Amino acid sequence: MSVLEDLKESVIAGNESKVVKYTQQALDEGVDLEEILNTGFIPGMEIVGNMFQANEIYVPEMLMSARAMKAGMKILEPLLTKAGIEPIGKVVIGTVKGDLHDIGKNLVAMMLEGAGFEVIDAGVDITPQKFMDLVKENKPDILCLSALLTTTMGEIKKVIDAFKENGLRDDIKIMVGGAPLTDDYSKEIGADGYSPDAASAVLLAKKLVGK
Amino acid sequence: MKKLIDLVNSYYSKNKRLVAPLLGFPGVKMVGSSIKLAQQNHEEHFKVVNSLVTKFEPDFQFVLMDLSVEANALGLNTIFPPHESATVLKKDREFNMDDLDLLRKIEFDSDGRLLSYVKTVELMKLNFPSNVKVGAYVSGPYTLAGLIIGAEEAGLMAAREPEKLEKICVFTTECIMKYTRLLLSAGADAVCVLEPSGVMLGPSHFNKFSAVNVKEIVEICHRENVDCVYHVCGNSMHLIGEMVQSGVDALSLDSKDTGVELLEVAKSIPENVILIGNISPTKTIVYGNPQGVKTEVRDLLELMDGFSNYVLSTGCDLPLETPLDNVSAFMETGRNYMISC
Repeated sequence: MSVLEDLKESVIAGNESKVVKYTQQALDEGVDLEEILNTGFIPGMEIVGNMFQANEIYVPEMLMSARAMKAGMKILEPLLTKAGIEPIGKVVIGTVKGDLHDIGKNLVAMMLEGAGFEVIDAGVDITPQKFMDLVKENKPDILCLSALLTTTMGEIKKVIDAFKENGLRDDIKIMVGGAPLTDDYSKEIGADGYSPDAASAVLLAKKLVGK
Repeated sequence: MKKLIDLVNSYYSKNKRLVAPLLGFPGVKMVGSSIKLAQQNHEEHFKVVNSLVTKFEPDFQFVLMDLSVEANALGLNTIFPPHESATVLKKDREFNMDDLDLLRKIEFDSDGRLLSYVKTVELMKLNFPSNVKVGAYVSGPYTLAGLIIGAEEAGLMAAREPEKLEKICVFTTECIMKYTRLLLSAGADAVCVLEPSGVMLGPSHFNKFSAVNVKEIVEICHRENVDCVYHVCGNSMHLIGEMVQSGVDALSLDSKDTGVELLEVAKSIPENVILIGNISPTKTIVYGNPQGVKTEVRDLLELMDGFSNYVLSTGCDLPLETPLDNVSAFMETGRNYMISC
């Protein structure tokens, strides 16, 4: 098996130490950076996403893969930046004001990274103003908003409304997710898309940036 | 006390359904209180739930849903926003298995706020009309473990170090059982185990970290002839078998929006296990209108006509901002409905 095949399999298995080992080995062997990304990490995480959607694996296994991938990406990222290799898109992600539950948001962030996006994680309990500031500062393609609670889902609309009121809405795609949300609700509040889980979030984000 | 299945069957024999939305926070608004106060003062708490019983006359009334009670009693950092349910903050340091020994030394069942929930149940039992059953909530073993060590860490531990997580879940179950015993002594007619984080697990992990432990909670409920309900938020379709295997008397399932197909579940579970659900709390009740609520409730009731073991409810808890007219429409439609087969 080639080192990239080993890397991909280790991402799927969620084996952090092996992902680090094979990433380093690939670099030592002089494998092209984009090839490591496109043949090792991205297809590995794609398979993980597919397995999740098919109920073959669940959140714990997905978390393991995402963490393993992140450990490998930590080695790769500075090199990608240095080589001027652009991500497929830039995302700002956070949970809305009042919502401290971040496992879903974290998973989406890691899956997006694994798919080749640059992810700016705003964290939890983010006000509409803070989201606007982050978008102005980082100029992402997509803003991802997450709410786990029925009591905080209304905050998502407030963020979208704030973007509209401040003339920022047309410059950004907004995707939303979280347990109480539905596709209908996302349309009603003017989001560009809704995803029910982290794997679908990747597909949606790619669609929104035209990839 | 008459077992819930007997009550459900007796209603069904009269072509009627028990109606019990997961309703608590809207009562806070009705009495002009705050969630913060109601979750920390048993008299205020009782006032809130009593207002709901007076106005809507549900067949079951639960205390306010609060997943922080046990975690808070274990000393975890909890915040109390005035108009939101108390929330346990994320741990600022990594959990160490030695921490379990420290947690075991905490006088968990002497905690003031936990006892305030017990006193609320006492007041409910003493003051509610006898036809309104009193329900109490406890956290699920895995969910409480997630609050102690962090939700993400619990997920990772399930996959990487399952034996450690099993130990933590055994500890959380011991705590939950202590709380359950107090709630049973206070007169609870049903205890509902809230296991929202369980939905993230696959069936074997769910069984290992939740269902096996819930079985013990079920046993102490059954010793007092009290019913035990299992509630998992989100799409729990892959966990139905494990939930039933725990021996609970009823499954409370989330709405169709999340992927739960109640009819499919009804066909797959034994007749003596009750299904509770699953009108969408957000789409239908919070953001809908009375006419829409009536239509959806009627459609769901018609769908379930062929099954005796069903209680009309919402898929999850109703938030503070729930329009009361929509709750009235829910109750009225449920009460007036006659089973046609």
